[in-house]
Amino acid sequence: MDGIRVGKRVIGSQAPVTVGWENIPKVEGGPVKRFVFTWFQPTMLFALIAFWYYAPNSIAKASTAIGIGIAFKVLLLGLEWVNPRYESWRLTWKELTTDLFYVGLGYTALRLVDSYIGSDAIAERILHLFHWEKLTLFMGLPLLVQAFLIAFMFDFVQYWMHRGMHNWYPLWLPHSVHHYITQLNVNKGAVGNPVELFLIGLGIGGFFDFLPRAFLISGAFGLAIGTYQHINVRFNSPRWWRFLFNTTEHHSLHHSRDFEATRSNYSNSFIFIDRMFGTCVDGEAELLGLEGGRRMSIREQMTYPFTEGWKTLSQRFGRQPIAMAAE
Amino acid sequence: MATALTPRGETLPWGNRVNLRFIDWIWHVRGSLMLAPGQSNEDAFARLDPLFRESGTSHERTNDTLTFRKKDQAAQDKMAVFDSGTLRIEEGEAGLVLRYHLVSRALLFCFLVPLLFLAMAQITAIVVKHQKAGTEAVKTDKKADDKPAPQLNAVDKFLGAPAPEKPKKGGEDGPGKRGRKPSTTPAYVFAAIFAALYVGGRILEDRLIRSLFRKRLLGA
Repeated sequence: MDGIRVGKRVIGSQAPVTVGWENIPKVEGGPVKRFVFTWFQPTMLFALIAFWYYAPNSIAKASTAIGIGIAFKVLLLGLEWVNPRYESWRLTWKELTTDLFYVGLGYTALRLVDSYIGSDAIAERILHLFHWEKLTLFMGLPLLVQAFLIAFMFDFVQYWMHRGMHNWYPLWLPHSVHHYITQLNVNKGAVGNPVELFLIGLGIGGFFDFLPRAFLISGAFGLAIGTYQHINVRFNSPRWWRFLFNTTEHHSLHHSRDFEATRSNYSNSFIFIDRMFGTCVDGEAELLGLEGGRRMSIREQMTYPFTEGWKTLSQRFGRQPIAMAAE
Repeated sequence: MATALTPRGETLPWGNRVNLRFIDWIWHVRGSLMLAPGQSNEDAFARLDPLFRESGTSHERTNDTLTFRKKDQAAQDKMAVFDSGTLRIEEGEAGLVLRYHLVSRALLFCFLVPLLFLAMAQITAIVVKHQKAGTEAVKTDKKADDKPAPQLNAVDKFLGAPAPEKPKKGGEDGPGKRGRKPSTTPAYVFAAIFAALYVGGRILEDRLIRSLFRKRLLGA
């Protein structure tokens, strides 16, 4: 495979990838289907923002957000069924069960751990230790600006954490598990070693105070943009959307079996952060995973970073076998 | 005679087989299919053969029996949910019959996961109780917080966004709280989801494998 030169890099020399928006297939079907799968993403984003902006205080609650989040994911699972991007990524019972197991861990065990050593808990302790108050400098800004800042601060930290995971072996070990997924589906973002899931959730938001409603609007950004990273749906995303936001196309390239392609598109929601730092590649891939697409079991996903880390340490610092003298 | 296999595919001693038989339907799928009249062992296994040529699958065949084992099977492998099994062609009353006995660790895992989430709920309840006790102790030391309600920006007032309320003390579900505090509810919800997933999966995978074998055996 020759690969395609993108800037200083050659993408796709190890596994097939598609580079360039003009080469990505469009939604096939009648005018209604094409209309729906062209405007679904922007419509849902603006509808959710408008909802949270105007919802009365009695409705604008975290519990409502959780309910909307679940309903939206169910809707997206329906879209995967109706208009899959690749037949080879079809959701099976086993894949759904695996994905939901990790979603469940995120809502339970991880949340428990976060309440003690999550970034918000640590920020709270630091503020308390120095008798500081949360920084309120953004609270007077318009709600949408505050919401964008919450989402952007999280995404910016996550971009560097994610990029660090691809460039520093101790961080790559826990993250590598997530790269063993061989297809993208709505809940695949939750699949990974719990250590990585903890690390990727770290942020600096805990040092800042925002209006409560701004958090809900920023949640809409995450739900109606970030969720599409791992989805098996073919959309005709508008040009402005794919310029600003991360898409399943971008993220499939990040998950491809081509090493150079995986070193691109690190951001969670805002792909313009990748554009700012020169790591964005517009394109997509169907063949995903590591080791030629070996699917890892849940048991191995839980232990792999530790067993691999131990192997590496043993090789580097362990006793080397004494070479036998040639007879 | 069907053998008793553990989720790893090991054969058990006879005493354990009798006891395990009562519960191994949880992760064992058994069934049988009539072969088409005149269809031979050779032809039937030849038609099923592509199913055992998937990556991560090894199989052995004698004249009337095929045993297989899978490791790290691909997500789209049509038999991905099974890890090992035996297919045997026997003489039935009305002709040759394919009897299959398949073992699925995924089904066993899904059956047990609700217990994990129920345990998680209990742990969370203990933690929440502990955290609440700590928070209340801190609260008694603090004076009443008389901070005014935060104000909206003029742009938002103009656009008609509802004004923020004064923050409630200790409000768990107030406007904009991100809901990241531990609660037992998600653990119970996921326990129920996995119980339902198990029931659905046990019925679905049983039907799917039967239909897959039938299509392969009768297909052109």
